[in-house]
Amino acid sequence: MSPATAAAAAAVVPAAPFVPVLRSEWIKIRSVRASWGSLLAILLVTTALTVLAYATIGESEAANGGNRVKEAFYTMNFAQVAALAYGATAVSSEYREGALRVSLAAVPRRGLLYCCKTAVIAVTALLVSVPTTFAAFLVGQAFLGEYAIGLGHPGVLQACVGGAVYLVLMTLFAAGLTFLLRSAVGALSVLVPFVLVGSFVLGDGAGGIGAYLPDRAGSHFFRETSPGPLGPWEGLAVTALWAAAALAVGWWAMRRRDA
Amino acid sequence: MTKIELTALTKEYGGTRAVDHLTCTVEPGRVTGFLGPNGAGKSTTMRLVLGLDRPTSGTATVGGRDCTTLDTPLRTVGALLDAHAAHPSRTARDHLRFLAASNRIPAARVDEVLEEAGLAPVARRRVRTFSLGMRQRLGVAAALLGDPPVLMLDEPANGLDPEGFVWMRQLLRRLAGEGRTVLMSSHLMNETSAVADHLVVLGRGRLLADVGTAEFIDANSTPCVQVRTSDPVRLRASMALKGHRMREGEGGRWLVDGATAEEVGAVSAREGIPVLELTDLRVSLEDAYLSLTAEAAEFTAASPRTVTTSQEV
Repeated sequence: MSPATAAAAAAVVPAAPFVPVLRSEWIKIRSVRASWGSLLAILLVTTALTVLAYATIGESEAANGGNRVKEAFYTMNFAQVAALAYGATAVSSEYREGALRVSLAAVPRRGLLYCCKTAVIAVTALLVSVPTTFAAFLVGQAFLGEYAIGLGHPGVLQACVGGAVYLVLMTLFAAGLTFLLRSAVGALSVLVPFVLVGSFVLGDGAGGIGAYLPDRAGSHFFRETSPGPLGPWEGLAVTALWAAAALAVGWWAMRRRDA
Repeated sequence: MTKIELTALTKEYGGTRAVDHLTCTVEPGRVTGFLGPNGAGKSTTMRLVLGLDRPTSGTATVGGRDCTTLDTPLRTVGALLDAHAAHPSRTARDHLRFLAASNRIPAARVDEVLEEAGLAPVARRRVRTFSLGMRQRLGVAAALLGDPPVLMLDEPANGLDPEGFVWMRQLLRRLAGEGRTVLMSSHLMNETSAVADHLVVLGRGRLLADVGTAEFIDANSTPCVQVRTSDPVRLRASMALKGHRMREGEGGRWLVDGATAEEVGAVSAREGIPVLELTDLRVSLEDAYLSLTAEAAEFTAASPRTVTTSQEV
């Protein structure tokens, strides 16, 4: 490199080093089919299952009574699994062969790489989760005829917003764990049974530790739960703590390990 | 001038020393061949230079700086470590685009390096469909992306066809000619000798040699001359006087160990011995390399025995 081009390179070194890294991470997610596929799957799978469920049994279930707001978000159970899958695949592409070495040779500041990757995962997950919760609600209600409720119904908007935040937190929870386990299959084989089975078994003991599990705690807005020690927003905060803990463990692994 | 400088570089993995007090400087303006058998510590050294692994002790710097402190490292050191590192479901172009974006390298440069690596026609194909040789070319394209003064390529000739190898050789020679520092590892001496001006040889993580390629051959081989004569008896006697042993070779030819063609020619002319054919057998680089690394292995294997029996050798 000649002195002139070296000086030019130095001149463009940014005051905000995270901007190019955020762009780079965004290109990474967009350019691997498994990553953006599992991102879109959050919206598509949830909407498709909503159509299936509410078109077939929605009206009869609604006629049986129950909490209409919570019943409206039944398909969030599937959305959260899709969110976990997105968090895991978005991170695991770095742990194929020597992929992380390529990334770290370009961005050797591990904290910078970690934060930017996590931020891009969080923002993309949020951008898809908001339409997902609204779509789940609106599409489902379209099949309920006289039992349908509107967005103005008490608790509905809260459920849409809280549900979207919940999906983002579950995505980050999976992402953090994948940084530790270095494999999407590894992370999902821990998380999916944990969320689908463990939570059912432990969670029904009302008031016990089950109420503090990441999925139980954060899903008060949209799931029928036994009255527990946590309110909806407190519950969401507990899920946020789980996600933060997973990300902290993931960072510890990323910082400590040889690439 | 951007050099790679290693100072007492050591890396241990669970008690095994992969790199052992390695001190050397890789100079700009020439291709340095980084040689050693598999497991000698070449790849580990490259990872240490890039800051991907942390040294147990010692330092590795590029242009006097630790690579992990660089803002846009791709503009300083371009590396090809593993041709399989590109995600199979990305296109070649996307692989380079995310790398370029992270170091604020203009997107136009992506197309330039794709062109340079001969990948322009397959730029939008997924890496999954690439042969090993094409993946190597993509790895080289990635290394060139930031137009860096230092290039480090780990086994770049793996999987290349003969045409690809010629391309690689010309590229590395040109890059060195432009004044860049080029470090290329290989476990094969012959492919390295075709490219490298200078050699750094590792054995079991230790530095065995840090010399010019030609010097290395001279230092590690004994000369030998192949000669065909109608009077082997007299030639043998004259050579014996000079202290050279003559032995029978193939096809009626004779081999004189330790002599050069000049010497044998001068002796036979003086003595009037008819010589029908006279050739310097330059011992191949591969042999010199094998004898060097074999010595290192013998040394490490033999040293405990020497201690236990207390014998002078």
